[in-house]
Amino acid sequence: MSGPDDGHAGPDDGHTGTSGRTGQATLTAVPPRPPAPEEPPQRPGITRWAADLAMGGRFAVTGGRESWARTIMTAVGVGLGVTLLLFAASVPTMDSARTERSNAIAAFGFGEEPEPGPGTVHVAQANTDFRDMDISGVVLAPDGSRPPHPPGISGVPAAGEMYVSPALKKLLDSDEGKLLRDRFPYRVAGVIGDSGLSGPTELRYYAGITPKQFDSVPSSYHLDSWGAQDTSGDELDPALVLLVVIGCVVLLLPVLIFIATAARFGGERRDRRLAALRLVGADIHMTRRIAAGESLFGSVLGLAVGATLFLLLREAVGGASMMGLSFFTSDITPSFPLALAIVVTVPASAVAVTLIALRAIAIEPLGVVRNATPKRRRLWWRLLLPLLGIGLLAPLAGGFGVGSSGGDFQSYQAAAGAALLLIGTTALLPWLVESVVERFGKGPVPWLLATRRLQLSSGTAARAVSGITVAVAGAIALQMLFGSVEGQSTEETNQDPNRAQLMMNIKVDNGAQARDAFDRLGAAKGVRSVLEITEGSISDAHSKAKDPADIPTNSLTVAGCPALRELAHITSCRDGDAFIVTRDPEYTGPDNAFAKPGAQVNVAFDDEGMPTPGKQKLWTVPRSAKKVESREDPNGALHSGIFATPGAFDISDLANPQAVAMLRLDPKVPDADEYVRNASVTITPTLDVTQITSSSQSSEFQTIRNVLFIGATSTLLLIGASMIVTTLEQLRDRKRLLSVLVAFGTRRSTLSWSILWQTAVPVVLGLALSIAGGLALGVLLLKMVGEGIAVDWAGLAAMTGIGAGVILVVTLASLPPLWRMMRPEGLRTE
Amino acid sequence: MTPAGSLLMADDLHKSYGPTPALDGAEFSIHPGEVVAVMGPSGSGKSTLLHCLAGIVRPDSGSVHYGGRELSTMSDSERSSLRRGEFGFVFQFGQLVPELTCGENVALPLRLNGVKRKEAEARSLSWMERLEVADVAHKRPGEVSGGQGQRVAVARSLVTGPRVLFADEPTGALDSLNGERVMELLTEAARETRTAVVLVTHEARVAAYSDREVVVRDGKARDMAGAR
Repeated sequence: MSGPDDGHAGPDDGHTGTSGRTGQATLTAVPPRPPAPEEPPQRPGITRWAADLAMGGRFAVTGGRESWARTIMTAVGVGLGVTLLLFAASVPTMDSARTERSNAIAAFGFGEEPEPGPGTVHVAQANTDFRDMDISGVVLAPDGSRPPHPPGISGVPAAGEMYVSPALKKLLDSDEGKLLRDRFPYRVAGVIGDSGLSGPTELRYYAGITPKQFDSVPSSYHLDSWGAQDTSGDELDPALVLLVVIGCVVLLLPVLIFIATAARFGGERRDRRLAALRLVGADIHMTRRIAAGESLFGSVLGLAVGATLFLLLREAVGGASMMGLSFFTSDITPSFPLALAIVVTVPASAVAVTLIALRAIAIEPLGVVRNATPKRRRLWWRLLLPLLGIGLLAPLAGGFGVGSSGGDFQSYQAAAGAALLLIGTTALLPWLVESVVERFGKGPVPWLLATRRLQLSSGTAARAVSGITVAVAGAIALQMLFGSVEGQSTEETNQDPNRAQLMMNIKVDNGAQARDAFDRLGAAKGVRSVLEITEGSISDAHSKAKDPADIPTNSLTVAGCPALRELAHITSCRDGDAFIVTRDPEYTGPDNAFAKPGAQVNVAFDDEGMPTPGKQKLWTVPRSAKKVESREDPNGALHSGIFATPGAFDISDLANPQAVAMLRLDPKVPDADEYVRNASVTITPTLDVTQITSSSQSSEFQTIRNVLFIGATSTLLLIGASMIVTTLEQLRDRKRLLSVLVAFGTRRSTLSWSILWQTAVPVVLGLALSIAGGLALGVLLLKMVGEGIAVDWAGLAAMTGIGAGVILVVTLASLPPLWRMMRPEGLRTE
Repeated sequence: MTPAGSLLMADDLHKSYGPTPALDGAEFSIHPGEVVAVMGPSGSGKSTLLHCLAGIVRPDSGSVHYGGRELSTMSDSERSSLRRGEFGFVFQFGQLVPELTCGENVALPLRLNGVKRKEAEARSLSWMERLEVADVAHKRPGEVSGGQGQRVAVARSLVTGPRVLFADEPTGALDSLNGERVMELLTEAARETRTAVVLVTHEARVAAYSDREVVVRDGKARDMAGAR
């Protein structure tokens, strides 16, 4: 190639040719030297950077099929990561939009209850369940002419009408909802608008009832406006905060690692192309900037792919319900600062990753030279990261969330500590893989091929596995924290679902109404028996107290022998018997003193629940009444006082009775509980049927667990996808070698096993490291919330299994292309 | 030369890649210990002929007989086994496994045949000495010169004691001095062990090492017996 000043004549220089042909050597005939082209002006640094980056961008698309393939791979990889990041960045908006709407539709009766008037509405909560689906409901009746109405509907529904959410309408109209229709004896007057729902799949209704119907409602109140104050100021439990913080770190770190990996997709081929640029005069810095330009282009394209995927998936996710959570499409909007951070940091990270990767490579004019004897990886800085993490987390031991000040700072400290510990675990992996594989040598051919490959490029293998390592380490730590938090937020209810499965508190005016309610419930399909309990009060008929409030009282429970046996340790019982029941047999307090066998007691009470000394209705406690000890009822409650069978006390004499029905269901009848709930609407419109369960879990905990599960699954899928791409890329680069190996008779199984070993070795090392890192983080987290150290071995096994499963899937997915590439066509060069 | 007594014989081979015919009625035969150069211009079908003869590629029609057996009737695993045990291969480039040392590369076919590691290492070392590359046994292919790498590949192709050695442009990536040294060592070792060599080349200088030349043109192979 001629340089601009090499003295050769240009094509338009006629003198030289003539002179040469004639052989004349006169000095005067020497042609004047053509003017040298001007040196291109030296561009300032930033302009040169921009020009080189732009050239890289051009190469990303103009280098033919191979360039496009690499650009598309990077763009899709980065795009997948960006999609997840955009969803993560939408979480604050989703949360605030949902909370805002939930607050707006709240019908809590907190604070001063307004006097009923023209501007108030009488309401009662009427929530119910249908086959594990929660249905929120409110029954209401206007107190006057200007009642406030709930958001999302145009007015208070008239008695006998209801407004339903679109999801509930769909359910009621479906075959599945056929059984549910009987529970709502109301005409559907309209559909609740989005502003009246916390999410699109929420099952909600507002039913209008008559003022008279409120007589059978145990708890109701009046409202002059809808909505509650923002409750977001309520502090979450510190352990839950820690769980959310660590969860975010654990879920987002693998995504960032994935993006960094995606920026290096196809790097080896790109490096070979860059060598060609060196041949035509590009210096080493230019080639690096050009490579960075290619990555920048790919990552910017990835941002576009990610944004497009996000917009498409947002439509699908909006309106879908996952683990009981649903969001409107409009809620899924990334917060502006986070979106901006993604737009800036993703391309910047891609450039940084490319430049760092190129530091270990010498791109020479005649080819790419990877350091033949790469420098040994240094341990000190890799250890520094987890140690720094431990240093940040350790001071929080026992003190996380204690005190009102510094809560945010502690959260940041915890997040930074966890991130450093997890990143440190990942950073240790290449060193660990290198240190271990260099000790491998002898073995069968597949093992030899795999370990030698790992010895040559342990970094590539470690990079592929690092995402899994973070995810598994984080998941193990979270599992340990979960175990602790679960213990805290799951309360044993002391309920015994073996003795009864459903319970209903019924507001009745008299014994006849209680009888009627028991009969209605007992007639429901699938009810095997009803434990019928009617409770009221008795007072000391001979009290000298002047103020009725000072008259000693006790409770009187009237029920048949089978039901009484569920409430007290009664050995023999016949109709007509009565019992004096104490919670503690040693306890003989003053309240119980008047209620003794043969004593006369007053059973008359006014509407306010006060004894009526001037207008007594006397009943004599049977002399045969035995003293027995109380027993937890199926609902976990202890009852005491006088227990009487209907033969000993007529329930129609009971003032202000409260009926309690505990129902035993036939397990062979499907939907027996639904039939009972349907029957309950004939007793009260508020459907106060509760399930008897042995434990209850904090809904916050359940929500967080669900969100983390969704996130962890998405992350693992993403990592799996990245590993498949990396493995396929490695295989494609070795296409010719694979064909040569086939030519001299290498079995498919030999190469398949070598791929498996090549994947399995770093994975096993990664899993070992992640278990160690996860346990360390878990122990620190447990110490932070002041819990004892307990390892959830089952959870640990599950997480390890999931990680290993992803690897197996990746290996299996790599086999078909491996076998395709093991065809002799790879030998053809023409 | 008549096909009688041939070790490997091909008859009326046809092979096309898409609409392009690579072989169009090609015929070929080789005897034990014979070195046959397959010559022709680029794209003439030389490599395709070699691939068909070695059982790497199945011809569209025609037959390849080796030791009295028709290759196209053999299963993939039978042909793989044949290539592991009876054939050896040398290609122009990209044939050594980069992560294995040169010694391990030479021992690889033996290990694939189930030979114990120590014995495989001993036999491979002996072949490497013979091809004057024993000193690079512990180096990786990326750390040796092109000529050394190619001699390592020749050692690998001969280590199993093949009856036929297929060499596809074995000196194509080497300078003339290195190329000649490789050819000398290759043909010398082959003649000593009575290994038949199918040598694909387009260089007359390389073909000069053969006993006989076959020219492939437009997919047809023409025997140039006595050309030398």
